[in-house]
Amino acid sequence: MKSAKKITLITKYLVGIGLLLFVLFLLEKFLSGFWLMLFLLFGINIILAISLNITNSWIGFFSIGHGGIMLAGAYAAAFFTLPPSFKEGILDLHLPSFILHTQLPFLPALLIGGIVGAAAGIVLVLPALRLRGLYFCAGTLGFNIIMATIAENLPDITNGAMGLRQFPAYTNIWWVWGIAILLIYIIGRLKKSYIGRAFIAIGKDQDLAEHMGINLLKYKAYAFGLSAFFTTIGGILWVHLVLNLYPTAFGLILVFDVVAMIVIGGMGSITGAVIGAAIITLFTEILAPIEEGFILFGFHVPPILGLTTVLLGALLIIVLIKRPEGIMGEREISPELLFEKIFRRRANLN
Amino acid sequence: MNYFIQQVMNALGWGSVIALLGMGYTMTFGIIGLVNFAHGEVFMAGAFAAYFILTIYKLPFWLGVLVGLAGAIIIGLVIERMAFKPVRGAGMITLFITSLGASIIVRNLSVMLFNDKLKSFVFPDFLKGVYLLGDLLIFKKIVVIFLITVGICALLVYLVKKTKIGIAMRSISYDSQMAQSLGINTEKIIIITFIIASALAGVAGLLWGVLFGSVQASMGALAVVDAFIASVIGGIGNVFGAMVAGYILGIGGTLFIAFLPPELVGLRPLFVWIVFFILLILKPSGLFRANIK
Repeated sequence: MKSAKKITLITKYLVGIGLLLFVLFLLEKFLSGFWLMLFLLFGINIILAISLNITNSWIGFFSIGHGGIMLAGAYAAAFFTLPPSFKEGILDLHLPSFILHTQLPFLPALLIGGIVGAAAGIVLVLPALRLRGLYFCAGTLGFNIIMATIAENLPDITNGAMGLRQFPAYTNIWWVWGIAILLIYIIGRLKKSYIGRAFIAIGKDQDLAEHMGINLLKYKAYAFGLSAFFTTIGGILWVHLVLNLYPTAFGLILVFDVVAMIVIGGMGSITGAVIGAAIITLFTEILAPIEEGFILFGFHVPPILGLTTVLLGALLIIVLIKRPEGIMGEREISPELLFEKIFRRRANLN
Repeated sequence: MNYFIQQVMNALGWGSVIALLGMGYTMTFGIIGLVNFAHGEVFMAGAFAAYFILTIYKLPFWLGVLVGLAGAIIIGLVIERMAFKPVRGAGMITLFITSLGASIIVRNLSVMLFNDKLKSFVFPDFLKGVYLLGDLLIFKKIVVIFLITVGICALLVYLVKKTKIGIAMRSISYDSQMAQSLGINTEKIIIITFIIASALAGVAGLLWGVLFGSVQASMGALAVVDAFIASVIGGIGNVFGAMVAGYILGIGGTLFIAFLPPELVGLRPLFVWIVFFILLILKPSGLFRANIK
């Protein structure tokens, strides 16, 4: 009986994974241009939103410093993926020679960047030990500004405000959506595990959690490390999609977008983060052509730069006023639950 | 030594702007627990209203001052009505996010409408000129700016400590529900606080225009961070503390880069954050006793 259940579970997973791979295969074959870009950005935004969710909603430390984390990791990865001819020949960066002469494939670069990002994230735990609420929030803003300033003022290493170019175009549907789906799975499992519940307990009441025997330092470090690792991977994917990196690339505006995703989708919900990412991606990418100016029935509409950000800010304020818990609140929609509901309804009908 | 004093003299202008912004910041922070990121945009609005009167229409200076203040107050109240009043009581983080949203909206709108180039700010001749003291150069406008800031601070301290409005403000900052049940019109007091804070931002905007001779649509972005840190360092709600902290940050920032090798001048934004982190670790309540709360 038990083994039969196991077998059906395994087949379910296999069918699910097969279906996903097939859908991704079809999408890779037929999507191109604008729609491909939209789909890739959607995947990256899912990665960013879910990983920001861990720190901002679960353990309740509202970070707006993830831009600084991404910057650190993205530069670390960039040093390994840039072609040596560009690093050494054109820019003459002052890096150790083994970095200058190598060009790694994407996976090791992602891991290196992710680890550097996670280290930067664990640095953010230090203020999280002393500061609470708003002061932490302001401190992370400082982290963001500090990282950008440092990157701008090390021209020998980062090429300063000019930024880096000539990235190999590594990012494709397989990388982005493979990582996004893996992340959704990992975080979904994590939420039900001891670690995930410890995170949420810290978020609800830090002092009570400590009294319950949860080691605050350890779990804060776990949460920030995990969040920073995947945020950085999202950032590296983004860099290898738009093919340039400059110190202000992950500024407050980008962090604000991701914050908008989790606030609109619902703080604390993975489903909410995905929905929020979908809404914000569609919103920004559909408004982007309007921003650049277009011709409508013979009228030339001039470019309106910054329009997306303005409307996004307005949307965020409206959501916070009308529905402060976001679309999903803290609820989740999991595939098993969905299937169960459908099957039960059928069973009842029969 | 002369170089040192000269740098301090020059930094007094920037310190005054930060001090004025920090004072406005600390009042709204103390009274409703709002970290108003849109304060920088109010500051920008004041400077731009004055810029239109003085540079574009070439009207007299007093009118520019009045319109600058009015512009700042109007923008401040509109932001309060649209973004803060509906979510009041929803927690500091929510207020912080809406203020960030409001700030980004207003800043992008102004960049859209006026573009982000430096615009020259015309100010009357009586503010131009320098005094010579030995071999020290003392700018007339910096002296005026400094005196205005100190005067405003004295007025504000009197207002908060001695007048009925100030007592009402302090009572709201302790417990707004209790204050309300004791018959204080909290709504009115909060509006008054916002008017005062916005007017201070307007003054700061005008002084920025006079100090640098130019205004810019994104000028709020840099100043607001410094002002926030000044309000934290000075002790939340402490007007005098915010002023002192504003001068510490302004002068410290200038000295920080004055004694750094020239290729590291770009590191200036780091200074305020270094001070912020050191202070929050050593003395989280700020340099001075929190006054409003």
